[in-house]
Amino acid sequence: MAVVREKGYAHWDGSLAERRFPWLSITRTGIRLAFRKKGFKLALASAFLPAFVALGGLYVSERLEDFKGLVQSNRALLKIDPAYFQLFLTGYFQYFILIVVLSFAGAGLVAEDLKHNALQLYFARPLSKGDYVLGKVSVVAFFVILLTGLPWILLIAFKLIFAGNLAFLAAYPWLPLSILGQTALLTLFFGSYVLLLSASSRNTRYVIVLIFGVFYFSSVLSAILRGIFRSPLMILFSLPENLRQAGAALFGGKLPHAVPAFWSFLVLAGICGLAAAVLARKVRSVEVIK
Amino acid sequence: MTVRSAAREVFGFFFVLGRRTGRTRTFALLGLIPVALAVVARVFLRGRSGDMAAVSTEILMVFFLQFYIIILALFYGTSIAAEEVENRTLVYLITRPVPKPAIVLGKFAAYTALMGGMTALGLAASFFILNAARVGDPALWAAFFRYLGVLVLGILAYTAFFAFLGTVLKRAIILGLVFGFGWETAIQYFPGSTQRFSIVHYLKSLLPYRPGSGGGRGVALLLFRLEPTAPLLAVLALVGITAAFLALTCVLFRAKEHLSED
Amino acid sequence: MTAVISAVKLSKWYGNVLGLNDVSLEIEAGITGLLGPNGAGKSTFMKLATGQLKPNIGTVAIHGRRTWNAPDLFRTVGFCPEPDAFYEDVTGFEFVAGLLRFYGFPKKEIGERAERALDIVDLAKDKDRLVRGYSRGMRQRVKFAQAIAHDPEVIILDEPLSGLDPLGKRKLIKLIKGFKDEGRTVLFSSHVLPEIEALTSRVVLVHQGKVLAEGDVPYIRELIEAHPHMISVRSSDPRRLAARFVGDPAVLKMTFGADGRTLVVETRNRDHLFAGLTAAVVEAGIEVEEISSPDDNLQAVFEYLVGK
Repeated sequence: MAVVREKGYAHWDGSLAERRFPWLSITRTGIRLAFRKKGFKLALASAFLPAFVALGGLYVSERLEDFKGLVQSNRALLKIDPAYFQLFLTGYFQYFILIVVLSFAGAGLVAEDLKHNALQLYFARPLSKGDYVLGKVSVVAFFVILLTGLPWILLIAFKLIFAGNLAFLAAYPWLPLSILGQTALLTLFFGSYVLLLSASSRNTRYVIVLIFGVFYFSSVLSAILRGIFRSPLMILFSLPENLRQAGAALFGGKLPHAVPAFWSFLVLAGICGLAAAVLARKVRSVEVIK
Repeated sequence: MTVRSAAREVFGFFFVLGRRTGRTRTFALLGLIPVALAVVARVFLRGRSGDMAAVSTEILMVFFLQFYIIILALFYGTSIAAEEVENRTLVYLITRPVPKPAIVLGKFAAYTALMGGMTALGLAASFFILNAARVGDPALWAAFFRYLGVLVLGILAYTAFFAFLGTVLKRAIILGLVFGFGWETAIQYFPGSTQRFSIVHYLKSLLPYRPGSGGGRGVALLLFRLEPTAPLLAVLALVGITAAFLALTCVLFRAKEHLSED
Repeated sequence: MTAVISAVKLSKWYGNVLGLNDVSLEIEAGITGLLGPNGAGKSTFMKLATGQLKPNIGTVAIHGRRTWNAPDLFRTVGFCPEPDAFYEDVTGFEFVAGLLRFYGFPKKEIGERAERALDIVDLAKDKDRLVRGYSRGMRQRVKFAQAIAHDPEVIILDEPLSGLDPLGKRKLIKLIKGFKDEGRTVLFSSHVLPEIEALTSRVVLVHQGKVLAEGDVPYIRELIEAHPHMISVRSSDPRRLAARFVGDPAVLKMTFGADGRTLVVETRNRDHLFAGLTAAVVEAGIEVEEISSPDDNLQAVFEYLVGK
């Protein structure tokens, strides 16, 4: 049989071996593509702002004498305890900046594949649906962990370094676990949320609007319903408020609203379940057009 | 073809096209959520007409003014140029005897008509469901048309601004979101004339109530630290913003080459 | 003949990448093929010619009018782009008719023109299906339909045959050839050599943003004197034939074919070789079954020009 060698094409003579983690290449590519977008680096840099502000607060708390004037007016802010970490990690700015970064990095994850009919290319390789979803979710997870878990665990380390002893960790041994728990919650939620919306359209611009819009519309809706029904249960319609409730429960702090935290966890789990169902339906190698 | 006649044809083409897309249906449904809320409010606030009036005039306007028209204008405004470039369909328009400004003007008209329709429908239905008892009152109709006018002016101004952003920048939508939900909200905390560097200031200046007029939390939210501009000036400012950004968009769109990323 | 499409010292940069390099070209009425590999600059030239891009240096004009920001020019120009991009939420008919609106035709005429164009490309029975549901070939044909629906005098086609099946290609080739008979000007691009050869003998060869050659294929071939001609002779006794040529200084190289009956001769003087061949047939009685020029085709010409 003639061997086709024109234009440099040649069959691979070696043996083919399956990669151990086939989804990892999807993750690496997704992260690399995010960094190529103009403005993304600025958004990512801005996302570390809360961590730097908190770092400043940690430093000041260990040097109270030097910052007497500042301390007098802001004593409450400089009390370094789990509530300090909860304040930043479950604050509105944290969610806002996460949404901005994930709009850059995550909006096109599935939408672009749907637009360019690239799913067939993925599944023509030894890659399962699970690998595909895991690879895409990992891109979101990378950025969430980079902006939440990683800096905040480092901040605990800085606190210990500034204090020069382990007293803080002895006083609050479960704090690192709370931070990891909050990171896991945000990773799971935002991974599901972003992929759910990305899979719902082929237009990345529309997905970006949805990511922002649905998140903030839920707050508006919740506010309207609270105005009508005057019941705290209406916060369950608000995604940011559910995240705050769940976060407060993880930090063992006071819940922002008079609603059991379990309900908020249930709402967030519902979003994850919906995402799984939509992805199972949308991510397939063959598309039927009627 | 003159710019006017070409714009008319572009309007016709994109008005029909715009109506058909799934996104328009989604946005239209979003605009009907206040209607559902109005029905819910009527059922649960039966007999409390003061509360219902408060819900309609304040809370719904928060939804429409500070969320819905911004989202609509952001998507459709940036779509005027960006959509054609992303979808690589601009070539079909540029290789026709259609002046480039006519493409901008025609699409602007088509999309603002769609947005106006969706907004009017949602607002009218929810407003009159909540104020059903006063349907015969001319003052109520005057208030309704004033609200509608504010929202329409807002749609025009925001869409023109976002159309300009979409022509100038590749990732206009994110900057637009930061502007619409960041700047427009944060500006109210700035003193003096700083507020006048926003579109929402002029829209709020046209609302049919003033700071301190009472009415509940919604009003307070909308008019927080508002130092209103006189209504006529506010209208002129909004018309001016619309005309200026639309003109800039036309000039830039005509002068610029539009290359798709691939 | 006056040029319909003319480019004078045309250059175009994409950032630091040179898309088109000092191209001066005149395209006359009839069918002209723009040939070059992917990335040669064919689409760049077409985008400049259709006013989608602005030249960095030089000019490009149709009927003497520069194409950048000259919408009126497109009354008589039709363009079929290469990308597979459409307004997906409309039917084939609505797509073609919708774009016809921009010419100012009356409503009835728009409908008639759209139907006619879709009929020409065999999409009449699928005209009411959404473009989103069209196959690759159908999408290519509806793209072609929108380019010709307004009866343009100048038709510019970027890879018009891509995505079509062999039957579809044949039909479109026949259609395009018909345009020449109607006196229209067609400029089309392709990187598939047989397609160009099927449509026209007038080509412009483009490579790395430069025009390597333009004109009729045989004429271009004649110009390439630096490269020897190849003549293939199939005969009953190729070795005896070869023996007659081996002493001829005009013959550079001889190769025997695998079939044992073919002799391929490389020579700088084709006429001299043919004279020798005639003599061989007459004097030596060698039966010649077939004579052909393997390199008198576009592929060979192109390969010579790009130095492959």
